[in-house]
Amino acid sequence: MRRVDTIKERIPLIELRGITKSFPGVVANDDIHLTLYEGEIHALVGENGAGKTTLMKILYGEYRADKGEILVRGKPVRITNPSVAVALGIGMVHQHFMLVPGLTVLENIILGSEPVKNVVLDLSLARRKIEDIMNANAMPVDLDAYVEDLPVGLQQRVEILKLLYRGAETLVLDEPTAVLTPQETSELFKTLKALKAQGRGIIFISHKLNEVLEIADRITVIRRGRVVGEMPLEEASKEKIAEMMVGKPVVLEVENPRVEVGEECLVLKDVVYEEYGVKKLDGISFSVHAGEIYGVAGVEGNGQEELLKIISGEIYPSAGEIHITNEVVNRIPPLGRRKLGVGHIPADRQAQGLFIDMPLYINAIVGWHWRQEFQKRGILDYKAMRSTASTIIKNFDVRTPSVEVPASALSGGNQQKFVVGREISFDPTLLLAAYPTRGVDVGATEFIYKQLIDEKIRGKAVLLISADLEEILALSDRIGVLYRGKIIKEFSREEATPEIIGLYMLGVKEE
Amino acid sequence: MFDFWYFLLRGLQLSAPMAYGALGAVYSETGGVVNIAVEGMMLTGTFFFVWGATLFKSWIAGLLFAIAGAVLISLIHGLATITFKVDHVVSGTALNILASGLTRFLSMQIFGMETQSTVNPYTPPTFLRINVIAYFFIPLAIFTVWLLNRTRFGLRLRSCGQNPWAADSLGVNVYAYKYIGVILSGVFAGLAAATLYPHQWIDAMTAGRGFLALAAMIFGNYNPLYAVLAAMLFGYAETLTYFQNQIPLLSGISPILIKAFPYVVALVVLAGFIGRTKAPKADGVIFEKGEG
Repeated sequence: MRRVDTIKERIPLIELRGITKSFPGVVANDDIHLTLYEGEIHALVGENGAGKTTLMKILYGEYRADKGEILVRGKPVRITNPSVAVALGIGMVHQHFMLVPGLTVLENIILGSEPVKNVVLDLSLARRKIEDIMNANAMPVDLDAYVEDLPVGLQQRVEILKLLYRGAETLVLDEPTAVLTPQETSELFKTLKALKAQGRGIIFISHKLNEVLEIADRITVIRRGRVVGEMPLEEASKEKIAEMMVGKPVVLEVENPRVEVGEECLVLKDVVYEEYGVKKLDGISFSVHAGEIYGVAGVEGNGQEELLKIISGEIYPSAGEIHITNEVVNRIPPLGRRKLGVGHIPADRQAQGLFIDMPLYINAIVGWHWRQEFQKRGILDYKAMRSTASTIIKNFDVRTPSVEVPASALSGGNQQKFVVGREISFDPTLLLAAYPTRGVDVGATEFIYKQLIDEKIRGKAVLLISADLEEILALSDRIGVLYRGKIIKEFSREEATPEIIGLYMLGVKEE
Repeated sequence: MFDFWYFLLRGLQLSAPMAYGALGAVYSETGGVVNIAVEGMMLTGTFFFVWGATLFKSWIAGLLFAIAGAVLISLIHGLATITFKVDHVVSGTALNILASGLTRFLSMQIFGMETQSTVNPYTPPTFLRINVIAYFFIPLAIFTVWLLNRTRFGLRLRSCGQNPWAADSLGVNVYAYKYIGVILSGVFAGLAAATLYPHQWIDAMTAGRGFLALAAMIFGNYNPLYAVLAAMLFGYAETLTYFQNQIPLLSGISPILIKAFPYVVALVVLAGFIGRTKAPKADGVIFEKGEG
């Protein structure tokens, strides 16, 4: 490869020219240009739904562009499917990992490009080859472990090894840090810098601006399918990128005053939940007071799901006690708990928060349908339901043509605002907020944060469960770290830093 | 006098239909296609065996016909579930009903009788008094273990049943592998049919053995060798019913109870184990390209 001094004269590894792609009703990518050079980390930032993933799926051959061309090392190519992309040295780590859980690390890495000797898989050759790659990049993984048993950070490492095994020169990482702890993130960044030093090009998709500024050499911002700006790192700032992403100035810091706390609204005492002999929750104790937000930090899969379900009433504890507003609720089902004033923003809005194919005026009252205002001589009062839906839409800035459309017609952010609005509207004493901004764009995130803080100021107890540590730190008054089904450490907001919490999340430190 | 050696061999023969059925199901489900149509494939196979054998006056023709007939049903199952994304259980149930009607219809056309065929003299040769085809299911199970774990084909088939989107993203032709898995289940159902009772086709003669094969597969935790051992448990339980009179301990029990024995064994075994077995992660999941 010819080395030329200025970046502009070098032949780019990848060049996208005028990529346009429409889906029914939306233009996902509109005349997008993007270049990636050897030895460069190029960040692609934009809100959810801005078209980042679509663009990368086009590059990886999972979608076909309607218009535009792709050049690899200056030569126009037609990438008709992922195999073609792989052959051209392009590899992609999807946001949702593409791993086969029940296969070993080794099998996952070779799948699709297996070395074979006389019909039989040549596992020892594969092992040697992968071990070389692992050593060269300081990325050790146990090759005989089953992928389903690995923590998320290592699963991601397996994904990257898969690409390197196939000789990828261009690596596309779609929101790679979304699921990582701060320590895992810094490990990943070390790896990415090493790969960059070897001359590989990396496209790094993110909407976490701190990370983008830490790792990227160049930044391209897209909004609603169009490129709104491209800049080298030196010219970038958090405020500038955020404004480009959203199209208007954004307040990045949320104002979160402390208020006088009241009595305990939620108390867990040595709660245990056992499933098939496995203790998913192993003696959890904590309490949430009126007037505070209690954040549960932790790597996913350490009992978040069970903790949420056990408080909402979807599962019952095997041992221990749960009190909600001074009542023992161990065996009270979800509806009974709602009647005690529990609002619940569930982890998966499409599966649990909404009846996705039903109109908004029905979705406006689910979970609260038993309330007197919706009954009219024993049947549901549709007029009251419609007016409730309209109130939610108005107060919570939900963008929708009407209350008659199904929930599926709304964008992810608006669906979430609707769910948050519904749960807050009925004035709960205790609000469970699970991943309240997952898959929600910056604008809506800001709005939802404000709603949760307002709830607290109004003297409600809020339990926040999230995988996003920044979110936990921004909102919580107290933080508990969940590790292997236990709250192993509690912090006040003042004591908490991402680094120290990260250590507890990984179980490196234990009380 | 209780003839122990004959009991062992007879048990092997009676296990064979379920063992072959279970092996076939392992291929299908490893690729992620739930296959409750095994019963229908076996039944179709039994009819086609007698048809092919009497038509060409050769048991080998019968065997090939049996395989072809079962594969035909498996292809419909593949077409419905893989290409047209029909729910696997719905398609399987429909095919079981279809197979029962199809065999009766064909029997009427070919043999002029609706519920049974003429007697077929061209049956597979016997070795030590039992059907030779019955001797191959244990070697084939071992071969299957090897194939699934040591070859490219096996690795790819397993990946399709666990996470077809991941396999697809790595350039594995998921649809093709799923079809191969389903077709192989048809081939094995054909072998199962050839060991059941090649002398004559009788309406509904599989009598739930296809379902017992599935039970064996689940009890065997989708492992070919364990599935075959589970099938042998059911097979030998059935064998006991034929040897009832020779075993003093059993002679006092009502034959009806003894006949129910294999099914009770299946029921008890499944009730105890079903929560603990581990199906392929994407078993029964409809795969659509680009949805992951």
